[in-house]
Amino acid sequence: MVKVYSMTSCPWCVKAKKYLDSKGIEYQNLNIEEDEAARIACQQLSGDLMVPVITANDKDYVLGFDKEKIDALLGIAG
Amino acid sequence: MSVYDFSAKNSKGEEISLADYKGKVLVIVNTASKCGFTPQYEELEELYKTYGERGLVVLGFPCNQFAAQEPGTNEEVQTFCRLNYGVSFPIFAKGDVRGETAQPLFKYLTKEKGFKGFDENHPVAKPLMDALQKNFPEYLEGDSIKWNFTKFLIDRKGNVVERYEPTTTPKAMAKDIEALL
Repeated sequence: MVKVYSMTSCPWCVKAKKYLDSKGIEYQNLNIEEDEAARIACQQLSGDLMVPVITANDKDYVLGFDKEKIDALLGIAG
Repeated sequence: MSVYDFSAKNSKGEEISLADYKGKVLVIVNTASKCGFTPQYEELEELYKTYGERGLVVLGFPCNQFAAQEPGTNEEVQTFCRLNYGVSFPIFAKGDVRGETAQPLFKYLTKEKGFKGFDENHPVAKPLMDALQKNFPEYLEGDSIKWNFTKFLIDRKGNVVERYEPTTTPKAMAKDIEALL
């Protein structure tokens, strides 16, 4: 399952999630403002508290809304 | 007239008079909620920590007017938000800072200190300028607030001493602040 670490008032998170929606990719939305476990997991994964962070395997991730990198990470055909 | 004639709602919805800060040196800043220029949050906090004991107070006014808008797609412009912790200076309620709906305090501040241009040496100056020209040309007109993290320096008597655009880092204000303390 793809995970998206996000925050409520983060326009880039909205863009990233809309992009995944548009590609028909299902994901679990994890709000690091509201969910402490998600916050810890996000920090452990990326070393910081910046979002959006997208990961499919809890190891490789993309920080920020970068379509090319998201495509590469998730194997989306361009 | 001075900033002490104005009041604003705090995050709990209580009306706070700026006269409560009489005798302090103030930095009044419109903040992004969580996005864009976030390093400025940290630097503002540093200023507050460094000079707080000597009488500096930073007052943050979150504003959504620029929040959903990104200054272009330039690579220098970040596409992420950082969760901010440890901001200990007062943050007021969300409100507008430009246009007809702007809070009276910001109408006053921009009247006192007009727009004198961006610091073109700042890496964000060009993409910000390009984005404004392309998407929000009306923002560039007049003395209105152009973007998040426009900072106003107020002396101990409530006079507006200086205005700093988003392209001036809080750190770069340290000398001016010290001169007023």
